[in-house]
Amino acid sequence: MNEAPATLRRDLGLTAWQALYEQRAFWRNRARAFFAFLMPIMFLVIFASIFGKDTISTRDGLPYNDFFVPGILAYGIIATTFFNNAVSTAILRDQGVLKRMQGTPLPRWSYIGGRIASSSITTLIMTALVLLIGRLGYNVHVRGATLAGFFVALVLGSACFTTLGIGIVRYIRNADAAPAVLNFAILPLTFISGIWFVTDNQPAWLRHVAEVFPVHALADALQYAFNPATTGAGIKGNDVLVLGIWLLVGIVAMIRFLRQPLGEA
Amino acid sequence: MNAIEVSGLAKRYGELEAVRGASFEVAAGEVFCLLGPNGAGKTTIAEILEGYRTRSGGEVSVLGVDPAVGSRELRERVGIVLQSCGVQDALTVGELLEMYGRYHRRRRSAGELIELVELDAKRDTRAAQLSGGQRRRLDLALALVGDPDLVFLDEPTTGFDPQARRQAWATIRALCGLGKTIFLTTHFMDEAQTLADRVAVMRAGEIIATGPPNELGGRDARPAEIRFELPDGWTLEQLPAVAALERIAEGRRVLIRTDQTIRTTAQITAWALEHDLELAQFSVSQPSLEDVYLELTGEHVADEREQIEALQR
Repeated sequence: MNEAPATLRRDLGLTAWQALYEQRAFWRNRARAFFAFLMPIMFLVIFASIFGKDTISTRDGLPYNDFFVPGILAYGIIATTFFNNAVSTAILRDQGVLKRMQGTPLPRWSYIGGRIASSSITTLIMTALVLLIGRLGYNVHVRGATLAGFFVALVLGSACFTTLGIGIVRYIRNADAAPAVLNFAILPLTFISGIWFVTDNQPAWLRHVAEVFPVHALADALQYAFNPATTGAGIKGNDVLVLGIWLLVGIVAMIRFLRQPLGEA
Repeated sequence: MNAIEVSGLAKRYGELEAVRGASFEVAAGEVFCLLGPNGAGKTTIAEILEGYRTRSGGEVSVLGVDPAVGSRELRERVGIVLQSCGVQDALTVGELLEMYGRYHRRRRSAGELIELVELDAKRDTRAAQLSGGQRRRLDLALALVGDPDLVFLDEPTTGFDPQARRQAWATIRALCGLGKTIFLTTHFMDEAQTLADRVAVMRAGEIIATGPPNELGGRDARPAEIRFELPDGWTLEQLPAVAALERIAEGRRVLIRTDQTIRTTAQITAWALEHDLELAQFSVSQPSLEDVYLELTGEHVADEREQIEALQR
């Protein structure tokens, strides 16, 4: 009778432990930590230093930094959740670590939960760092009024790209191909989704293409919450809808990947 | 109670029948070995028993449970050394044993396991920096971390140098001393001979013989072989009439097959003494496991055919 809650408690404990081990492994792999973590911050400093004094005429003279800091934050979230999870999961699968884990008594959800928790910790640290640099270096910050919109975008975006990142591994044949596949999937979208520069003047068809995908939704949601001119709670319904739909897609893709038998060669 | 029961096990991949009607039992506390050439279906059977692959037909029970159902209780009681399987490379030996240990309700301490597989000096070394042999020993330690009742070892010493193999064998024998049931696959005959209580020989997806290594293929009942070299100036015809099934001379070398080992040996040595002869390379032996295995699996036939084909080219 009392066994089920006790087992659940124990498994939640195991999930927490797994998150700690994953964190330890993550920070020891310098190259991966660099790409997932320091790249966005490097881009932030470079772009803000070059264009920091500009204003955006199509958006009522919005300072470029107020647009770019949330944009690069979106890129950072995608790097730490989508890229990081997809590449490391593909490597773990190719090396047989997933297969080994499957043979242990650790429930699969505990293992995946631990890995997701770990990548969420990384994302939070990266977010805090971008916010700090934005505030101190470029006087960019979220106002109390739009904090709700910021958190909705952060949580929904992270969940969406984490599940998509794990789910896409099903379509990556081997880990060597992972960066190519992922860049092909994401990099063009970052250019048409207003992460690096304002895309208000791009052709309507390109804008419609961008608006279908979660990269634009996440960047736009964060930019909306950061914009000093935004009124209300800073939640943009359209972006939330797009992220929500992609989260569902991600969940289905992730479950399909995890259900794949690992023994059949 | 049997640790493993398999009857009529079949596995098909499309047209290919990887395993055809395999049946065997493994008693609790026994070291059971699947022996066969590469591609015979050993790993397929091992991975079906481990729960990694589904079967196409037949009945399988591991510790009383169907492994296809994949219960957590079963994984608590089974340790697995897969053929090639990575670990979290960035973690150290000590950390890995601690991490995998947590997954089990019953577990053995990292220190104890490190000692067992002799990785004391590598406790704080990251897995990425271990040599092949050290990695394999770590694999074994990780399989034992939950103090399992049943251990699967899929080709545990492939790629080892002779000394590392002897070390691994000693460790595996130590496990038997602890009362563990061990399911081993290998294509090394000496490994099967040294470790196994019972051996099942596989060829092309079928089990073609099962038994203790010394009785396999009726090995114990087969004629003994007496070998020696004829001294200069003597011919096969000058040998005494002995109770032999077969007498073969190849140059100066003589092979006599007999089912009356003592009598035949005595007759030949008496004859040699009588003529004051020294018989070089004199030996009496039963057919080796290797002879029986090669005969059963038909590998020597294939080898010869390949050689002939190579010569004709």
